[in-house]
Amino acid sequence: MKQNEMLAMILAGGRGSRLHDLTNKVAKPAVAYGGKYRIVDFPLSNCANSGIDVVGVLTQYESVLLNSYVAKGGLWGLDTKDSGVFVLTPREKADAGLDVYRGTADAITQNIDFIDSYNPKYLLVLSGDHIYKMNYDKMLDCHKKAGAAATIAVMPVSMEEASRFGIMITDENDKIIDFEEKPAHPRSTLASMGIYIFDWQKLRAILVADKDDPDSAHDFGKTIIPTLLNAGETLVAFRFEGYWKDVGTIDSLWEANMDLLTDNNDLQLDDPSWKIYTEDANALPAYIGPDASIDVAYITQGCVIEGEVKHSVIFTGAKVGKGAKIIDSVLMPGVVVEDGAVVTRALVADNVKISKDAVVGSADSKEILLQAKDI
Amino acid sequence: MAKAFGIITSSPEHKVAGMQDYRPIGAFSILGRYRVIDFPISNFSNSGIINLQVYISSKPRSLAAHIGTGRHYNINSKRGKLQLVFPVEEEFNQIYRTNIAALASNIDYIERQSQEYVVIAPSCMVFKQDFDALLQDHAESGSDITLLYHNVDDAKHGYSTCNELKLDGNRVKAIVPNLADEDNKAIFMETFVMKKALLLDLIKKAQATSSMYSLANIVNHLAGELDLRAVEHKGFFAPITSLKSYFFTQMRLSKYEIASELFTPDWPIYTRTSDSAPTRYFEGAKVVDSMISNGCKIKGTVEGSTIARGVEIAKGATVKNCVVLAYVKIGEGAYLENQVIDKYATIAPGRKIVADIEQPGYIKHSDKV
Repeated sequence: MKQNEMLAMILAGGRGSRLHDLTNKVAKPAVAYGGKYRIVDFPLSNCANSGIDVVGVLTQYESVLLNSYVAKGGLWGLDTKDSGVFVLTPREKADAGLDVYRGTADAITQNIDFIDSYNPKYLLVLSGDHIYKMNYDKMLDCHKKAGAAATIAVMPVSMEEASRFGIMITDENDKIIDFEEKPAHPRSTLASMGIYIFDWQKLRAILVADKDDPDSAHDFGKTIIPTLLNAGETLVAFRFEGYWKDVGTIDSLWEANMDLLTDNNDLQLDDPSWKIYTEDANALPAYIGPDASIDVAYITQGCVIEGEVKHSVIFTGAKVGKGAKIIDSVLMPGVVVEDGAVVTRALVADNVKISKDAVVGSADSKEILLQAKDI
Repeated sequence: MAKAFGIITSSPEHKVAGMQDYRPIGAFSILGRYRVIDFPISNFSNSGIINLQVYISSKPRSLAAHIGTGRHYNINSKRGKLQLVFPVEEEFNQIYRTNIAALASNIDYIERQSQEYVVIAPSCMVFKQDFDALLQDHAESGSDITLLYHNVDDAKHGYSTCNELKLDGNRVKAIVPNLADEDNKAIFMETFVMKKALLLDLIKKAQATSSMYSLANIVNHLAGELDLRAVEHKGFFAPITSLKSYFFTQMRLSKYEIASELFTPDWPIYTRTSDSAPTRYFEGAKVVDSMISNGCKIKGTVEGSTIARGVEIAKGATVKNCVVLAYVKIGEGAYLENQVIDKYATIAPGRKIVADIEQPGYIKHSDKV
């Protein structure tokens, strides 16, 4: 890819309220995942690995931690000349008052000046809260070949799931002929992954026109895609195969972590050709004590395991005391489980302390327990 | 900003069989994710001494790649500097490869540093030390040179290529080789604090006296004229001067209580990240009493060992009291005890390799056994 031919904008403003207490203090993209990562590491590493130089991260909700985190562009190697990660929060402008981002499209509209300053030919719009690996350069090839105004990444889902997504109806050449947002009776099972490549000048014109429309939702799915379709522009679907997960709920976040324990997980975090970069913790390697027992686990550096860990994912700096048992659970960064405590089918939030002999969660619970307070 | 610049010497007098054929001691892995050189560089960085010269005598690749720009050592890239220094020419005979020869061939570069003092530390010893505190004390003491030492009680069984300080109170009378004649000795930590002007003078005098002289030799030679002050170091100390000392240093550090003494939040040891994924433990894995780096796949048994990143241990394999370096693959049912297994080595299924704990074995880099 030529330098700054395509600029990426990551939408990271959502709260993720279905993650409950986990996102009380941090935005969803900053939530920890997979032992040592944060969710936003995935789109950022994908950008870096795809050869994208400039990434804007649009933040809004509880963004202090997220802002300071993504501002360290060097973590993803995005700190060379003419490259960088830029945090874009709503700001007051000379010709407009301070306004929150009113929708996904409005977040881009409010940063037209930023995008224009790089004069890109294409704009890549991503969501900051999905876990997947994708080469956006290949998607751009597809976009160029089709001569499209917009390309939308899609993946097949089951008919039941289809009602939860934006669904693309395509012809035999993967040209999009219709679009339905969360249809009750889906006509296709190709779900939009919230990953778009636009011809920047075409998108820009639509955003400017949409800006002052009082009835508009200022949303890519609800507004921009239908507008492009109605205008007769070429929209194509880019089929994605592989692991992709929207971790919108505690259950799905837990599940995405548990996926790392199975052999048929094709996220392949250990693939050296497409690494996911993150902040390196200054920590010792994992220490496994003399009386520890580990049976199917994903454990990162900085952990101290002196008890039993069974089918669980243990994040940076978490400690499991003597005689403690962690079963089918996720311990997020800095969690301390004292001696003799038992944690079953639970997701324990960052830095929570489980005191001696406490019992958290149960083997026969239907839903995963979120433990967000010391106990 | 500190009043001193730092020099990390290459310690050509120490030789570690096997391991050193592939990299200098400074590049040896410690606990899988650190290198020996991370300790002196972090000591300098944490002490606010951020103008550093790192001397490399041979096989520079792995060390140069690890150190890079020095950014991961928290050294300000504008105000600070971490310079790798290579000797101008390779001497044909080992005896001429002294730290003085390396310093002398870069004497103009030492002369150009603006700081009044210099702190010199070795690249082959693992310890924590606040060099700024040492520098302050030195300046106040009015001595010519401050030398750091560690009291040991097992000098008969190790430290064979180290020097000891002969002391009279806190005055240094002589610096002599440890001849393993007694257990209790003040082992010299190859750490000096002095004025830059004195260092330049010593380099010139050493060269005029003998081309085989090291910095310790010339200081010893002038012990009668110079005011030499000794300071005792407390805490974890491990010179990596033989395969055995490397093996036992790793074994000691695989115990959490000992490692936590060396790695404390108030004195971070920085290193380069490899961006490895966490380690996966499979069904049937049995891991106890070990330090495990990221990026490994463990299906077998690990006991009392340190495992570096990206290591694969197959089903039914046993690794007991071993130092396993990065990207080693251990085949199904293999049994390894008291071994240092160098990077990229592959152990065939079912192989049994056992050494005595007093004479740990060594499996070569990229070897297929």
